[in-house]
Amino acid sequence: MTTRLRIVGTGRKPEVAPVVLEIQRLSKRFGTHGSGDAGVLKEISMKARRGEMICILGRSGCGKSTLLKILAGFMPPSSGLVRLNGNPVSRPGPDRCVVFQEDALFPWLTVRENIAFGLKGRKMDRGEQQREVDRFVSLVGLTDYGDYLPQEISGGMKQRVSLARVLILQPEVLLMDEPFAALDAQTREEMQNLLLYLWEKLSHTVLFVTHDVNEAVLLADRIILFEKEPGRIKKDIKISLPRPREKSTEGYFAHCRSITSEIR
Amino acid sequence: MNRLNSTSGRLNRLLPWFLPVVSFLSWFAVSESGMVPTYLLPHPKDVLAAASTYIFSEAGQGSHAGRFFEDLTASTIRVMSGFGLAVVVGIPLGIVSGRVALVNGMLGMTVNALRAVPGISWLPLAMVWFGIGLKTTVFLVALAAFFPIYLNAEAGARQVSPILLQAGAMMGVNRLRGTFAILIPAAMPHIITGLRLGMGISWAYLVLGELTGVSNGLGAVIMDARMLGRIDIIVVGIILIALIGRLCDLGLHQLLRLSFKSARRMP
Repeated sequence: MTTRLRIVGTGRKPEVAPVVLEIQRLSKRFGTHGSGDAGVLKEISMKARRGEMICILGRSGCGKSTLLKILAGFMPPSSGLVRLNGNPVSRPGPDRCVVFQEDALFPWLTVRENIAFGLKGRKMDRGEQQREVDRFVSLVGLTDYGDYLPQEISGGMKQRVSLARVLILQPEVLLMDEPFAALDAQTREEMQNLLLYLWEKLSHTVLFVTHDVNEAVLLADRIILFEKEPGRIKKDIKISLPRPREKSTEGYFAHCRSITSEIR
Repeated sequence: MNRLNSTSGRLNRLLPWFLPVVSFLSWFAVSESGMVPTYLLPHPKDVLAAASTYIFSEAGQGSHAGRFFEDLTASTIRVMSGFGLAVVVGIPLGIVSGRVALVNGMLGMTVNALRAVPGISWLPLAMVWFGIGLKTTVFLVALAAFFPIYLNAEAGARQVSPILLQAGAMMGVNRLRGTFAILIPAAMPHIITGLRLGMGISWAYLVLGELTGVSNGLGAVIMDARMLGRIDIIVVGIILIALIGRLCDLGLHQLLRLSFKSARRMP
């Protein structure tokens, strides 16, 4: 827990970085009212290396959110194993933090208090906590909104708070469950840029679930394409477009087109 | 815009007084006209005189003179003991019951069956068990206040969004801290509703407990006055209980708002 997120420059080489998260033959079935089980995930195996930005892309109902819930420890798999730095994980913990799609901030706490929430109970004196909170409040651009309540700020700002309150805990893996899906196009773009900015700065490992091809191509080092019934990995696509990525380049469009055709 | 706000603000402050003032004026008008005999409805000025004697005079200067503060103290102690007991039992039990299906399964049916029993049916039993006075009253108040407090705490705890608890768990919050830092604050609006309902019903059952021949207390005064045919004192008692009940409600709400962020910051 004491490991700090290191600041890594642009010379990152994910292929040689150590594996942080390993998913081994993971399956999930839900009992149904009729006879038999509904298979949601079937034999998912994949690895995430330190500092990688991986998008899990698939249509709704392909089990990608279920996978994220299992990784977070909110739900046990039917079979298979999740390893973090080699150790099997089963319960939720601050080494795998989630940014939810829906508003999951504590409505009775201010922006600052929400961001500080996970630090409480850590061996850290008050002054240091306050400095950390200050740092992350300003990293997500909410310096002027520290004392606002969640109900007083916009959806985009809420997601900024959601990001800050987990990044401050320096998780090994950041799990994001369609975090920007509910935002308007312009805000979503701002948030994508913010995510990339923070990722450059803090170089955490990100697993980002989305159904938006453009979003995945903009963000990802790798796109894991899911298909449904049962949910499984169809393809593992490396996106080697240079960063920062421009949405108007031919390379970007080409990737979007080819992945869109894969998804059909 | 600003002026509009301030006028509507003033209106909102005055609005609650509309009904009391209208009631009082019509009462006054009816009494002045002499349409209703005073043994059915005493004149407001008689009631005011009785109230002033009851509250401010020295003991011995007329019936019930100067008894108010003694009665108020006795009644307040009974209400607060009963209400406190209901809070101490009702809130923890409600919260556990809202989160643990086993506990809810065990308690749910019994609580709902007992809830259907009117409080007044407990009175004879309570008198046999506890005699007349403090204990019977406290028992009745505690029993009556328990149900709204328990049921609302239970509903509040049950309806806490699982995503808030998941968020806590992923941030490394353990069960104990989760209960106090997430579960209870998130259930706070329901808990407050339960406490306010419980406080209101406490005063109702206080009077019931005191009607049985207790020597002091606001309920006892009303019963006493009935035996003496002092309808003006009865009305004084009713109005005083309404005022004190309202003050208790305000005080309780204010206290909760002072003590808990969640009570202050959530509607």
